[in-house]
Amino acid sequence: MFGGLRERLQAARNRLSSSIGSVAAPPAAEPVVTPPLPADVLTGPAKTIAPSFVDKVKVLVLEREFIVSDKNIADALSELEMTLLESDVALPVTDAIIASVRKNLVGKHRKIGESVDGMVVSALKTALLDVLGKGFDLREYITTHPHPVKILFTGVNGTGKTTSVAKIGSYLHKQGFSVVIGAGDTYRAGAIEQIAVHAERIGIKVIQHQEGADPSAVLFDTVQYAISHKIDVVLADTAGRFHNKSNLMNQLDKIKRVMKPDLVVYVDEAVAGNDAVIRAAEFDRTVGADAIVLTKADMDSRGGAAISIAHTIGKPLMFLGVGQGYDDIIPFDPAGVVDELLDGA
Amino acid sequence: MMLQQYLKDYGQQAEIFVEQLNLLENGRMEAFAAIEALEAMVAAEENTVLLQIGGGASVRAKVLEPEKILLAIGAEVVVERSNKDAIEFLKERIMEMEASQKRVSETLDKLRGQMNEINKRLEFGYQQPVAEPEDEE
Repeated sequence: MFGGLRERLQAARNRLSSSIGSVAAPPAAEPVVTPPLPADVLTGPAKTIAPSFVDKVKVLVLEREFIVSDKNIADALSELEMTLLESDVALPVTDAIIASVRKNLVGKHRKIGESVDGMVVSALKTALLDVLGKGFDLREYITTHPHPVKILFTGVNGTGKTTSVAKIGSYLHKQGFSVVIGAGDTYRAGAIEQIAVHAERIGIKVIQHQEGADPSAVLFDTVQYAISHKIDVVLADTAGRFHNKSNLMNQLDKIKRVMKPDLVVYVDEAVAGNDAVIRAAEFDRTVGADAIVLTKADMDSRGGAAISIAHTIGKPLMFLGVGQGYDDIIPFDPAGVVDELLDGA
Repeated sequence: MMLQQYLKDYGQQAEIFVEQLNLLENGRMEAFAAIEALEAMVAAEENTVLLQIGGGASVRAKVLEPEKILLAIGAEVVVERSNKDAIEFLKERIMEMEASQKRVSETLDKLRGQMNEINKRLEFGYQQPVAEPEDEE
């Protein structure tokens, strides 16, 4: 996952470290390897220094304290900027990361003995964690909210919405919650059968009507079923739609009015890169979104969407889809992703 | 029948991956064509290129600055690069796309394997009642 971004970040990290390292290292002539011999032979300011003091200076020069200036890292930062943009990280997010790294490094005192690479990694980690946000703990949300918790899934066509509903259903089922799925995609041929088969395989009840039925009615019935059977979570699948199709967006509005979801989750594919970010922003503006699920993250080497989406639309990333199996979905853990990006490789 | 639905489901997923493979292949070929054009542009006499204007019509055009390439690097950002750097960038992108193609192909192979398996079971299911009466089950 995000292999290309990891490699690029590794290169950018090395470049930053070496830029700062070249400031930290003494100029070739500077280490005063003055033999502690006749002081009067020496010329220049060091000539009166006693041998023991020379040694101390040597240590200070080799491992001295220093302050990182903007100039020291300007080139490396502009390279980092290119790296992020080439990885499809949205421009405002790239700017935020660069500003944070600059703020954390410029003017910083490198303490004696502190590793330059450590400084750089810590600045990059802080910057990435800032833009990734805190994630979204669905388990905690469900346990702290009245049941049934109603979750509505939206998104464009063909991004893996129905599969994600099944995966999240399986995840919640394994966490000990009772789940019911509403087959609200009554538009796409075979979608109802698809979700019914998934539900049967993972042992979850599915509420369905005929193809072409009103999705609001299906999802209303699902919520009623959940209330009467004291089910913990309702997962509402819907048909994929583009945000510029007003009739379909009105239908989504109606669904929201009828089923009153607690959470609206936007699903898109990580491989769509910046397009996914733009679409998520549009959906958030038109129907609202409380959290994001990105599918096919295992196929995405750039990682741009995953890095940008939370910061751009201000809503947390909840899950990453990472394969074909029902267990191939992982709750998004910002610290884990950042560690993988910076410590791996 | 349950198995047939699985097969249909896998078939739909496979179609999406084939579509993705085609997109990647188109992107790769486009990048190759761009590299060829960038190299030829500098080599051509007086930087003359053939500019297609649609409908099969082309005109000879002189490129004003063949060394300054405006390149979309991602995230909808366009930057100016030298001809050589632009070619390097495109080569890296091609490598990236080839790696993605490999991953998608592997997933597709896995899906096809699963579909074959289901097909075999379906065949077996059809033959079973003919070969053996019910009591065997």
